[in-house]
Amino acid sequence: MFNSELMKRLSDCFGPSGREKSIREMIMDEIKELADEITTDPLGNLIARKKGNGKKILFSAHMDQIGLIITHVDEKGFLRFANVGGLNAKELLGLRMVFDNGLEGVICQEELKDKEKVTMSKLFLDVASTDKEFITRNFHVGDMCVFKTEYYETDDCVICKAADDRIGCYILIEALKAHPETENDVYYVFSVQEEVGCRGAKTAGYSIEPDLAIAIDVTATGDTPDGIKMDVKLGGGAAIKLMDKSIITHIEVKDLLTNLAEKNNIKYQYEVLEFGGTDAGQIHTSREGVPSGVISIPTRNLHTSGEIFNKSDVEECIKLLIAAAK
Amino acid sequence: MLKEFLFDVCSAQFISGFEHINGDILTKYFQPYTDSFEKDKLGSYIFKSSGSNDTKIMLAAHIDEIGLMVTGILDGGFLSFTTVGGFNSASLIAQDVTVYGKENIFGVVGIKPPHLTSEEERKKPIKIKELYIDTGYTKEELEKKVKIGDIATVNREPLSLQGSVISAKAFDDRACVAVMLEAAKELKKISHKSNVYFTATAQEETGLRGAKTSSYKIAPDIGIVLDVGFGKTPDMPSDSPELGKGPIVAYGGRLNPKLIKKFVETCKKYNYPMQYEAVPSRTGTDTDALQISRDGIPCILLSIPLRYMHTSVETIDLYDVEIAGKAIARFINELDNSDLEEILCF
Amino acid sequence: MFLNELTELSGVSGCEYEVRNYIKGKLSEIGCEFYVDKLGNIIAHNKGKKNKNIMVSAHMDEVGLIVSCIDSDGFIKFKAVGGIDQRVLNSKVVLVGENNIPGVIGSKAVHLMSDKERGNSIPIDKLYIDIGTSTKEETEKLVNVGDYAAFKSDYVEFGDNMIKAKALDNRAGCSIILELLSQKLDADFYGVFTVMEEVGLRGAEAAAYQLEPDLGIVLEGTVCADMPEVDEHESSTLIGKGAVLSLMDNATIYDIDVVRSVAKIAEDNNITYQYRRSTSGANDAGVIHKIKNGAKVAAISVPCRYIHSSISVASKNDLYSALKLTKQVIIENQKGE
Repeated sequence: MFNSELMKRLSDCFGPSGREKSIREMIMDEIKELADEITTDPLGNLIARKKGNGKKILFSAHMDQIGLIITHVDEKGFLRFANVGGLNAKELLGLRMVFDNGLEGVICQEELKDKEKVTMSKLFLDVASTDKEFITRNFHVGDMCVFKTEYYETDDCVICKAADDRIGCYILIEALKAHPETENDVYYVFSVQEEVGCRGAKTAGYSIEPDLAIAIDVTATGDTPDGIKMDVKLGGGAAIKLMDKSIITHIEVKDLLTNLAEKNNIKYQYEVLEFGGTDAGQIHTSREGVPSGVISIPTRNLHTSGEIFNKSDVEECIKLLIAAAK
Repeated sequence: MLKEFLFDVCSAQFISGFEHINGDILTKYFQPYTDSFEKDKLGSYIFKSSGSNDTKIMLAAHIDEIGLMVTGILDGGFLSFTTVGGFNSASLIAQDVTVYGKENIFGVVGIKPPHLTSEEERKKPIKIKELYIDTGYTKEELEKKVKIGDIATVNREPLSLQGSVISAKAFDDRACVAVMLEAAKELKKISHKSNVYFTATAQEETGLRGAKTSSYKIAPDIGIVLDVGFGKTPDMPSDSPELGKGPIVAYGGRLNPKLIKKFVETCKKYNYPMQYEAVPSRTGTDTDALQISRDGIPCILLSIPLRYMHTSVETIDLYDVEIAGKAIARFINELDNSDLEEILCF
Repeated sequence: MFLNELTELSGVSGCEYEVRNYIKGKLSEIGCEFYVDKLGNIIAHNKGKKNKNIMVSAHMDEVGLIVSCIDSDGFIKFKAVGGIDQRVLNSKVVLVGENNIPGVIGSKAVHLMSDKERGNSIPIDKLYIDIGTSTKEETEKLVNVGDYAAFKSDYVEFGDNMIKAKALDNRAGCSIILELLSQKLDADFYGVFTVMEEVGLRGAEAAAYQLEPDLGIVLEGTVCADMPEVDEHESSTLIGKGAVLSLMDNATIYDIDVVRSVAKIAEDNNITYQYRRSTSGANDAGVIHKIKNGAKVAAISVPCRYIHSSISVASKNDLYSALKLTKQVIIENQKGE
């Protein structure tokens, strides 16, 4: 059964790259009874361990989400900003944004002759106030904000913000709840700063030194009108990544995940992504190298305020992850 | 022997990420000249020739090559694909390929005939997305043989041109794996005190990944990185390095000046011809990964001039390969007989 | 069939020696009467029951390259002979001159290209052949201006009864005629192997003048573009769907009665056939039907994907259909009253 309540809380929780405190605390609270050991490293990764004497396995899903960082606050209530992670200026006009303290704003743009030529510097956030004192008290350079979108679901699919990669966090939490009997020493890593270059995964991979690493992250799909050419689709099951710009999945990991899926009747599809990367990209070149792979959740409309995924795909991903932990 | 090795190793595929399949060829040629063999976890091959002191010298040349990966199985027995590493799509048109599916499958990359293509259309750049592998099977049959993620290479039998000039795919960077083989052979003859690691690195073409992991594993005192450089052709500046005039020594910000000086002195002493190039910053080779491995590795970079890089007709002169191998062996010998600490001290 | 050997021979227009010598050898083995005319066409005669004068022709030549200049560093500049799409020359192996000196046509490293350059085809005047020499003198010992260069490409059988080779246009036709001649039919026809089709249908004109056919049957490898993203109506022909009958191209409007009668013969004999759905291109029929008093012509072709490149592809089934159909057309036409 899909735990909508948990997913909604994960999606709504504030946590752009480098400002993962709230989301980390929320997840920590969720898993504190489930792990043998919970630590936080200097970059802010949350690492939950299920101890064992066997193989060291690292699962990683990133907590951070894309957002904006305020670069200038003027007294009239107009805030200038830069992007944190992959956001396109052309797609921002009119969006509602929310800060960690709950205050909001809407993205507006200067009057432009050629609306196609919009850049970040032509946009501003209007925080809906003419009160100079209120503005200077509540908004500061360096504050971050994220999309404000209401969580919505149908029988089979979900629309929400930050599905990238809160859905990965959801899968880790659900897998941790169902952690199987195993000799393996398993590390569930909720990583930071993936959206700005998989920085958290780099340090976590180094400190844990795993024998096997699997990242859980979203991937694009090829099932939308005139979309990218790609064989991954919503409802097609867990996507086993074979390649992206950051990793060529180790053959033994590809075979492992494929065999586990076949053996356990888990619905899966192969994924070749011609752009992008995940935590596994950093982890697999850590130290002497780590055999690594990625289980992806097919997700439409990535890096927008309304990302769409399928609940049954998520269930398949959880099953595959649990099988891999064993 | 170098030519035999190169023709053998270039007839096999070592696409980035799939270097483990044809490793036997490497062990066959390297084992007679080395003492032990191991791999890092990304699949780099490390052949060690043990010495009598504690110094560790790492030679690095990447074994991987650029290739194709299947992204879709289409009606009419066509496959869509993406590239592993950087291809010029124009060089893929009208090539034979082998798809490594359940079995090896022959195919061709064709384009619409000129008779049905407008002048304007012909002038447009071709994107990889617009190319397909034609396998001659029906979609149903093909689906039994090929899966998404299977790899493919351009078929090209190595070819002898005039003199000692040869042409094949993947001389980038197997020409330099051959340099290591020549160096190993020479070192066997003249003996050495340092421990020498001949490393055929994995996944250079997708981001210097094997160089990162193998250098971490070896933790050498110095690194000698070998890659191919752009050999002069009519469409290049007139002062570009030429084939047949010796390997290219790189000077630049990421390379150790005193090691380079020592190397150049050695070459002069033994009359090995060299060419020179300035590489101000990023080298685009395994050097960039080696140099910052662990607590840092002083590196030099040698290149073999090569024409038509990243096409299926990469062309080199065996003479340059041989000279580079011999020069490196002499260089290691010279280092053995000098105070390495002093050389590396700033 | 003879296709394997025929496609591995060099025979760029005007330099068909290798192909001609091979065919002459085979004709002698078969024991077929033939002569070579002043342009280099081979005219073979299969004697038998005769109702009309039938000429079955296929051209021996292929598209290729001709050496135009040798530069100071020994690189060879060239021009195209026949309709070569410059896009297919990048990164190929070629054989130069009568001694088949191997050479490569390279391309600037992708690393040195601007974004705009990537994926672009390089114009023929910017390409060159590298045979591994480093001076003009060295190259001149091996290659002269005017030498021809042909693609090096192996004959490969693959997929579902498919063939890949260079010069399927038109060694496919040559192999069908050789096969027909070797069958010693009791039906009279001239089997003509023409030269210089790719540079303007030159050989066929002289051959038709000598033979004055009532019916000319031109065998060809023809354009086929049944690829992804090409609509069926634009694909001209479909591979595996049988022999191709031409209705009209740039040089000929085929006599509709002849075309329909050939189609009927195909249907009566359960031979798969299709019509060519394009009016571009031209073949030897263009000159044959206009010679002297004029002649009726038909063109029976084998669909070839990626024609005029080093890797043309055809189906053996289609080859067989074209062979069977040509044979039936000859037999039916020579059935006297």
